[in-house]
Amino acid sequence: MSAVVIEDLHRDYAEVHAVRGVSLAIEPGELYGLVGPDGAGKSTTIGCLAGLMHPTSGSVRILGEDPMGRRSTAREHLGLMPQEYSLYGDLTIAENLWFFGQLFGLKKKVFMERRERLLGITRLGRFEDRRADALSGGMYKKLALSCALLHQPQVLLLDEPTNGVDPVSRRELWALIYEFVADGMAVLLSTPYMDEASRCHRVGLMHEGHIIAEGAPGDLTDGLEHEVAEVIGGDRATLHGFLEGRDELVAASPAGERLRVIIKPGGSATLDAALAPLGASLRRVPPDFEDLFLARVAA
Amino acid sequence: MIRLLGMLASVAKKEVRQTVRDKRMMMLLIVAPLIQLFVFGNAVNLDVDHVPTVIVDQDLSHESRQHVARLLADGTLEEIARTHDTEAAEHMLVTGDAAVVLVIPPGFGDDVARRRTARVQAILDGSDPNRANVAAAAIATYFAGESQRVQRERGVALASTQGFAAHIPDVVVDSRVLFNPTLDTAVYMVPGVAAMLLLLITTIVTAMGLAREREVGTLEQILVTPVPAAMLIFGKVLPFAIVGLIDFGIALVVGSTVFDMPLHGSMPLLICATLLYLMTTLGIGLLISTYSSSQQQAFLGGFLFMLPAALLSGIMTPIRSMPSWLQPFTMLNPLRHYAEILRASLLRGAGLTDLITPMSILAVMGAVIFTYASLRFRAVTMK
Repeated sequence: MSAVVIEDLHRDYAEVHAVRGVSLAIEPGELYGLVGPDGAGKSTTIGCLAGLMHPTSGSVRILGEDPMGRRSTAREHLGLMPQEYSLYGDLTIAENLWFFGQLFGLKKKVFMERRERLLGITRLGRFEDRRADALSGGMYKKLALSCALLHQPQVLLLDEPTNGVDPVSRRELWALIYEFVADGMAVLLSTPYMDEASRCHRVGLMHEGHIIAEGAPGDLTDGLEHEVAEVIGGDRATLHGFLEGRDELVAASPAGERLRVIIKPGGSATLDAALAPLGASLRRVPPDFEDLFLARVAA
Repeated sequence: MIRLLGMLASVAKKEVRQTVRDKRMMMLLIVAPLIQLFVFGNAVNLDVDHVPTVIVDQDLSHESRQHVARLLADGTLEEIARTHDTEAAEHMLVTGDAAVVLVIPPGFGDDVARRRTARVQAILDGSDPNRANVAAAAIATYFAGESQRVQRERGVALASTQGFAAHIPDVVVDSRVLFNPTLDTAVYMVPGVAAMLLLLITTIVTAMGLAREREVGTLEQILVTPVPAAMLIFGKVLPFAIVGLIDFGIALVVGSTVFDMPLHGSMPLLICATLLYLMTTLGIGLLISTYSSSQQQAFLGGFLFMLPAALLSGIMTPIRSMPSWLQPFTMLNPLRHYAEILRASLLRGAGLTDLITPMSILAVMGAVIFTYASLRFRAVTMK
């Protein structure tokens, strides 16, 4: 049985259609990334999965159960780390852990064991008497993650876990997440950073309430029919004006000293020829996730 | 069940921790009520005395001086100026320096001496009707008494000249004041103020506490745990119900020691009534929180409820003197019923049988408000 199943999920807020028909499934031990810009509908999808809001239509299932159901035990198996601050700033690390442990109804012995383990792997043990509002962004996220993991959920939902976290802490967070995935946890995380997509087992590219591409990160970029290239030589200002009018082009953006261009399928030969008089030429580069996103959005 | 109680206890414990750590909150809960009790008990004084009075004595006779001195002697009126100029005196009414102008016209002493009808004029500032009434009554009572005395003296004198003893009949009112023999306003006010304080503390603190969880985002994290909404709500309001009881105790101690308020009623009855009342005030706080997305909104919402509730409670002004169409609405005001119970029980020693009506109303009101607010809380949080 899949750990998470979403079928044709729609969710509207008054006039806004935040999610417009999302379907996906996540298996135990899988790390699934919902990648997309702000406003794509990632948080709404997670909110529906966590049982915090009702779907307008469609269904969500956690281990086969509706998280909104009255007799549902889905919450016992679900961990959520919301995007915004969600812990008590005026309580210490230890007190926050204690409080959420209590809400999950953990027995004292079990709680103490898990607490020690989580404080150990997050290396927060030294700071357990520090108030949560006195923690750095990275430490705070690690504490929030610990609170969401106390009851050892089978499904973990992480809404933009790396947002506002420094690069060192970000690496640590990823290492932690991998550890739990390896233990068989199903993890769904959202991120606006395209470069983080490649860290997931499977990715759903989200845009305006739809999943516009889904698959293993490598397969997705390999399967891109568009061509991606850097423009070598020529005067940059002239090139920019010239490229703007070309039909072959999907997008052009500065990449270091050069221009990086995404070209419609089969358009590179003509573009290359057109560039020659300007003293410039194309050099193919492997597409990355941002290219994939831009190409898909343009389509 | 044990698991649920454990959750309830931990929510309550967390709430206490946060509250104790928040110095402003502790001030609001414990120190502010004390201060307010003192301030209200002393300042909200319905006894009218020391009404500023300008004496315009145009007669300047021995009689006029004597009567003015005797009129002022009971302290209801206080002389602030003496002048011959009526216009200057009236101007003091406009500026608010004076509330009464007493004019003794020329010839007053002469009229009294010659046993003719004498006249004095009182000009009153009616912008505070209560004060004007009391001042007018004080002046009228004094001169009525004087008239009666003069009539009596003349009657006796007349009778003796005719050679027989005078029997002038009279009705004497012998009034005895029960429960608050010195008619001290503070004794009457303190139970009312205590009722208002409980409302202020429990309603606003509950509304703000829940709005804070929503505003800060902690509510989301709680809602994904298996804790039922009812345990969350009870856990959050329980500590403030206890604080409410403590404040109630403080009010009783301050009331009886500082303001000589009697403590006639039975304590179990009072505590029971207080718990019923707290159920309504906490329920209202919960209800307000469901309409607020921030602590500020909750705070304002709390005040929006508090002001009419206090005005329509009968604490400051008697309900019977409100417009008749407004009076039925006061039945919906828990503050009214609780203040009624407190006054009846504390000051008059009323028992359960005397207070069964307001007690039942509070109980029904509390159950309805609390249930509705909890249901709404659940509906609003699950978007």
